[in-house]
Amino acid sequence: MLELKHELKLTKTRDEKARMNFVSGLRAHVLNDMATGMRKVYDADVEPRFRQQHRRAPKDGPEVHKAIKPNDYFKFYSSLRVTAQDMVWQSVIPPLERNRPELKEKAARLTGKRPKMKGKGKGKGTLAIRPGFEVPRYVSAIDVHLMAGNYDGEYEPDDLAAGALYDNGLAVFSFGLMGQNLDDIGQSIAGFIKLKFPKLKPAKILDLGCTIGHNTGSWKDHFPQAEVHGIDVAAPCLRYAHARAEAQNRELHFHQMNAEQLDFPDASFDVVFSSMFLHEIPKKAIAKVMAEAYRVLKPGGLMLHMELPPNSQLSAYDAFYLDWDSAYNNEPFYKPFRDLRPEKICRDAGFSSKNYLQFVIPSVGWYGEEVSRAAATQPRDVDNDKTGRLTDGIMWYCFGAWK
Amino acid sequence: MTRKPMRRTIRGGRPYFFADPAIDKVLNMVVVLASEVWTLRERLLAMEALQVQQGGLSAGEVDAFEFSADDEGNLAIQRKEFIDSLFRVLAEQVDEAERTVSATRKTSPKVKTRTRKTARKK
Repeated sequence: MLELKHELKLTKTRDEKARMNFVSGLRAHVLNDMATGMRKVYDADVEPRFRQQHRRAPKDGPEVHKAIKPNDYFKFYSSLRVTAQDMVWQSVIPPLERNRPELKEKAARLTGKRPKMKGKGKGKGTLAIRPGFEVPRYVSAIDVHLMAGNYDGEYEPDDLAAGALYDNGLAVFSFGLMGQNLDDIGQSIAGFIKLKFPKLKPAKILDLGCTIGHNTGSWKDHFPQAEVHGIDVAAPCLRYAHARAEAQNRELHFHQMNAEQLDFPDASFDVVFSSMFLHEIPKKAIAKVMAEAYRVLKPGGLMLHMELPPNSQLSAYDAFYLDWDSAYNNEPFYKPFRDLRPEKICRDAGFSSKNYLQFVIPSVGWYGEEVSRAAATQPRDVDNDKTGRLTDGIMWYCFGAWK
Repeated sequence: MTRKPMRRTIRGGRPYFFADPAIDKVLNMVVVLASEVWTLRERLLAMEALQVQQGGLSAGEVDAFEFSADDEGNLAIQRKEFIDSLFRVLAEQVDEAERTVSATRKTSPKVKTRTRKTARKK
């Protein structure tokens, strides 16, 4: 299991670490070994049966889903995956519960609400929480990806436990595939963009739906002269993000805001970014978010969303594979988002089609700096098995447009 | 608002995949148990490594260790108890069967009738 590298990491007993190790191992087994196994079972058994019955191959994800549902291997894969997902959070909550008072104290010191610890908390970032802010129902009503309490659950005044649950949970969940600081997405993409567009010198960068800011910081690393902002609706995540950034000595600015209605002036940002965000919100909200991104971008600015690849660019089986989350992992907006055409939603928000772009970026953590950066000069298509899928050899998909 | 414990249950429901959701639930229990078994193994390895580090053990000593005859005897008893308790749920069914048998013995005529019927069928 990955250990967090910053000061907010939890104190864990030997047994708690062992439980987390087990869950990480279980997830790697289900998502690598069993996922490979399920594909073989599909090819050998499920697909031929479908062909026999219909005289053609399944045409899309839902047809594959329907055909594979009665299969025992699918049932075990799915049931174990749900169990493992649940155990991710359950392996974190007991040590987190014990650490809560200390965690809060540390965060207060790091963010300057208590006398600073020596040499720590030099980031000088800021945090703006809005009293009375209304969290949209699509966040407040469910526990997304089976995370008890979701991003916004609060259990005491100025709570940040939900942020800690997400940070520590991701460390267990990702079995190393999201980078040593859980920022592989940010590091891979910000590094790629810097190389791909050497003339881009952003003064202001905005990260939408940033949660704990784990990918926000990468923009500051690659563009140190830029002012980097992150927004989210979940206050406990933002409080944690602020303390986390200070612990990492990164100057980041966090605001409680809804991406559907930003409190920033028109044409105020050079880059508007998001990662793993759009698939968490309904289609109506996506349209508003895209329009807001367009509004706050300066002319010539870049909008970029790291996301799951759209169904239109995947085979029927791979579409089914990614849509599993929508059906079984409390991700109701996952499939509807992936059914959209990225180019169309950019166009609908006012971006010109000729300014549309999309990239497949090899994970810098998995492939190394050289291979990942080489992608900047050698464009790749969506690779069915690897793109957007948490598996060995992962690649990140992103799309967007210049304003 | 004072400090409340974090919620551990999931809103939005948990999906089930087998015809009987009980199978999913049992599978979950098995995996949670497996996690505890693994946790014990890590702890034991840590204890062993600590002992080696502090000179109480030399590497490989546990693997080479043989129990005394007395210890073997005790272990055998404990192992039997462990296995019995593991399958207690099945033993309940046997107990129930035994109770039925002894109850029917007390009302012996019925038993005789049944025996005769069975015998005729054969």
